Amino acid sequence: MTYKVIGKRVKRVEDPRLLTGGALFVGDVNLPNMLYAAFFRSDYAHARIKSIDTSQAKLIPGVVGVYTAEDMGEAWEPGPPLVSPPPTLEDVVFNSRRQVPLVKDKVKHAGEIIAVVVAESRYIAEDAVEEIYVDYEPLPAVTDLEKCLEPGHTLVHDDLDTNLAAHLVQNKGDYEAAKKEADLVLKRKFKLDRGAAVAMENRGIVVDWDQKSQHLMVWDATQSPIPIRNGMAARLGLRTHQVRVVAPFVGGGFGPKIMMFYAEEMVLPWLTMKLNRPVKWIEDRKENFYATTQEREQIQEVEMALSKEGRILGIKQKIIHDTGAFNPYGLTTPLNTQSHSMGPYDVQNYNSEVFVVFTNKTIVTPVRGAGRPQGIYIVERMLDIACKDLGLDSREVRRLNFIPKDAFPYNHEIIDQAFAELVLDSGNYLPAYEKALEKIEYEKFIKEDQPRLRAEGKYVGIGVVPFIETTGVGPYEGARVAIEPSGKISAATGVGTQGQSHMTSFAQIIAEELGVEVEDVSLVSGDTAEIHWGTGTFASRGAVVAGNAVLAAASDVRKKVLKLASKILETPEDELELDGGLVRVADIPDKSISLGELAVLANPFRGAVEPGTEPGLESTKYFGPAYGATAFGVHGMILEVDPETMMIKIHKYVTVEDCGTMLNPLVVEGQIHGGVSMGIGNAYYEKLHYDENAQLLNASLADYLIPTSAEMPHIEVYHQNTPAPNNKLGTKGVGEAGAIPVPAAFAQALENALPDFDLEIIETPLSPNRLYELLYKSEE
Amino acid sequence: MKVEGEHLFTGTQQQVWDLFRNTEVMAAALPGTKKMELVGENTYEAIMNVRVGPVAGEFSGQLVLSNEDHPNSYTMTVDGRGKPGFLKGVGDVILADQGANQTLMGYSGEVQIGGKLAAVGQRLIDTVAKSIIGQAFETLDNALAERENAESEGREADYHQSSEGDYAATVAKDLIKNVLKRKGSEEA
Amino acid sequence: MDNTFELSVIVNGTSYQETVDPRILLSDFLRDGLGLTGTHVGCEHGVCGACTVLLNGAAVRSCLIFAPQVHQQEIMTVEGLGTVDDLHPLQEAFREAHALQCGFCTPGFLTTLLPWLEENPNPTEDEIREAISGNLCRCTGYQHIIDAVKLAAEKMN
Repeated sequence: MTYKVIGKRVKRVEDPRLLTGGALFVGDVNLPNMLYAAFFRSDYAHARIKSIDTSQAKLIPGVVGVYTAEDMGEAWEPGPPLVSPPPTLEDVVFNSRRQVPLVKDKVKHAGEIIAVVVAESRYIAEDAVEEIYVDYEPLPAVTDLEKCLEPGHTLVHDDLDTNLAAHLVQNKGDYEAAKKEADLVLKRKFKLDRGAAVAMENRGIVVDWDQKSQHLMVWDATQSPIPIRNGMAARLGLRTHQVRVVAPFVGGGFGPKIMMFYAEEMVLPWLTMKLNRPVKWIEDRKENFYATTQEREQIQEVEMALSKEGRILGIKQKIIHDTGAFNPYGLTTPLNTQSHSMGPYDVQNYNSEVFVVFTNKTIVTPVRGAGRPQGIYIVERMLDIACKDLGLDSREVRRLNFIPKDAFPYNHEIIDQAFAELVLDSGNYLPAYEKALEKIEYEKFIKEDQPRLRAEGKYVGIGVVPFIETTGVGPYEGARVAIEPSGKISAATGVGTQGQSHMTSFAQIIAEELGVEVEDVSLVSGDTAEIHWGTGTFASRGAVVAGNAVLAAASDVRKKVLKLASKILETPEDELELDGGLVRVADIPDKSISLGELAVLANPFRGAVEPGTEPGLESTKYFGPAYGATAFGVHGMILEVDPETMMIKIHKYVTVEDCGTMLNPLVVEGQIHGGVSMGIGNAYYEKLHYDENAQLLNASLADYLIPTSAEMPHIEVYHQNTPAPNNKLGTKGVGEAGAIPVPAAFAQALENALPDFDLEIIETPLSPNRLYELLYKSEE
Repeated sequence: MKVEGEHLFTGTQQQVWDLFRNTEVMAAALPGTKKMELVGENTYEAIMNVRVGPVAGEFSGQLVLSNEDHPNSYTMTVDGRGKPGFLKGVGDVILADQGANQTLMGYSGEVQIGGKLAAVGQRLIDTVAKSIIGQAFETLDNALAERENAESEGREADYHQSSEGDYAATVAKDLIKNVLKRKGSEEA
Repeated sequence: MDNTFELSVIVNGTSYQETVDPRILLSDFLRDGLGLTGTHVGCEHGVCGACTVLLNGAAVRSCLIFAPQVHQQEIMTVEGLGTVDDLHPLQEAFREAHALQCGFCTPGFLTTLLPWLEENPNPTEDEIREAISGNLCRCTGYQHIIDAVKLAAEKMN
């Protein structure tokens, strides 16, 4: 009898505490003798600091201290470089500049921290911040991605002679040769903007230095507690065992809560060691818009060479990518864009040049999608434009270009964000595409519904977009699984959890392997005291990398259980089964022993232990893939647009997703729904409006619009399963999939809805205002 | 943000020109002004309380008059900063005699804002700026009229500064008027 | 501190008498003053709804209220809805439908929905979408939340 729970729609074990207000988020941490920090942040995006006057602030009762960069002395240093450029790429220009704890000399983006106040309450701390006076010499702000590389332009970093943060070229095949054979060469210039993650919980950190035990305790709303622990220990001159970082329940990550070594993560540990009292800082929403990383503009000049049948012969692309004032996270986002600019298609010739530039704006690091949406957007738009020019059916052109299912693993030869060659491990695009067309009733819409509704004066359109998503990248993750004397299982992994349901889906893996109930598995994620090695939750890798480490550890425990039980029950291992928390002899059910009893026997107080045995029934294993697992899918939408107000209504939304083996379908669907909501936000409602002084003009939820339930359609999710060949679970990531194709689907559907207007959409985001401008302009 | 418009004053072109160089009048005209003082030739320093929706606080800054073509036109440059953020602006002012004791003042300029003011006040700024300017003109009209009366009566002119309460109430009224106008309501 | 307010308030059925700074927000009073951290703060400008509590039975944004304003009133927070061992049917429904992922916005949805479901025991999907359109969620896309509300309506009747 085999116990199957992987792939089941299991209710989450973490929910009861979250539902009753009993779950600990970083803002809930309350310690005796705790102090509160508040920051004085620069209003100017680019300015020299002439003087800082904190004297008035220090006089407020309840203020314990007001500190600037000068006070930090030797403890002041910029954050560490987190991701270097891939060593496997040649001729890369990379000027690394990282954020600083407190500004010295020159402010480089609005919101940079100039001073910190520590006080007995947050209210007093904020009062004191208001009393700080900084004398600035404002400088022109660097905001234009193209102009900023012109000679003589204002520089963000005075110690560089350029605003160029990075430059690289990737090449596959020979585009110029392919171009000569082309029947059609299309050229377009795209303007792509993304936005802020806007997790419902802002960032926060609580630090507590205990002088007597020489130990630093940290609660940090981070996606990567282990690198944070390692980096903090290094910066403070401590050993790793002197620092414990706990990422408690985290209210949404989506990328920016990665191990950034934000200024606040550098300042607070210094403060607690200096003051020998716990210090707490919780970001407020306005700060979040300035001080938490985001994704912004990419300008792309794209050229596509095609045959007259619509076969892609080659793609050439120049990307200019805004990294903001600093670039601690390397080239991750633009590399992802490159990896996805060929889509799910068989493209033999690809040449892509990337310029990354510094601007006087907030730091750019991956936000759900992390550069992939921009790649998918341009390839899908170019194909749509090609179809119009060549008079071809958009479905036929996709079918013609899909990588065929027997061509995997398919090596694109360029380097991806994980520093490996971009190898698409597996895929089966055609059935997924046909399924999406079937579920959205494409034929019926084009032939019947659309003409009928048009005749009624309604502008309805359809968009269907296939996409890939690279997931499950290394380097590695680890997991520890142990059977306790109670018979219950405790487990730990280093990937933090911000809503991905790790505590349940990983418990399902363990439960199936050891024959126990999911509720009997208690999994801790995000506590550096529980597991020592790991990277973090990002790039849709948790299920693949940590999940497979969990499987490896649980399998190893299972082996130990069988070996020991075989001895105790005097039965060969292959006649034993694990079920209901027991090890049983297959055809003699009474002959059994509980896992708890075995655990006790495995850890004797006295007696000799066989050489080579490890005590207990515990195992720690690591999993590191050679390359990632490529998920894929198709989104289809039918929308209606009001030609006067430009407001849209989505009538039907269909997704077909293939993430290999699903650990928990409820969780997968939730991830898709959430991803689509961010995609819809990115496509039509969200935009960070910066002005020429690099001032953010909509730094509140009242003016930065994320979708509410009223904007969201009902989403149908259909599954396909092409198992990942390179991991035992056969699973692929799905965390970002929902967000990736949406802007491209919007563009296709809107053009399809407004054929009389001769609309060509080569930018994102749109909005009612922007759509109006595009229509009005195209009419003239 | 572009700021432009015009206003018809009752008075001669010279009277209007002089009005704008009377520090006491200017201080009274701009709601929330706590201090305005001439510190150099054509350079004023001022401290003002500014409120734009939920953002309020003290601004201090400089106002410089330049490109003077007496009594026809000049350029005004403003640079202020404070707890709510910062504000920079430059604008041209043109006076034109309309005859019959009337002068038309036209103004056109660019204002840039930053900090909290920009982050949260952005969508109110337009209406609030127009409201401040509108109130300023009302005060100036009254000042001109008062000056004439004072002259004819042979006494010193007496200028009132509207209180912050009055100012806030007027801005609120203007914001509501704006919303009603957009909704097409006749009751403005 | 010379400027204080003697606040008297009932929260989840328990009476409290506390000396507070008169400008303390209700959200901070509940979380830091009383240790009821289930009410979450997402924006402090009344948009996201995570801080929603019930004031005399009606849903309000605790981030926009000063604690003295609820003097001698009755508040209910998410902690008053159910316990880990005894979940309210609405909480059960959320769990069954996977209507929460990170869980940060969830208390605000629960307190918003409780009085609404009492007045709308048999809602349609459109009615539910509108009822929760004042609560922001970044994780779920709202779909499972709507499923949960339908399920809760069944359970509660």
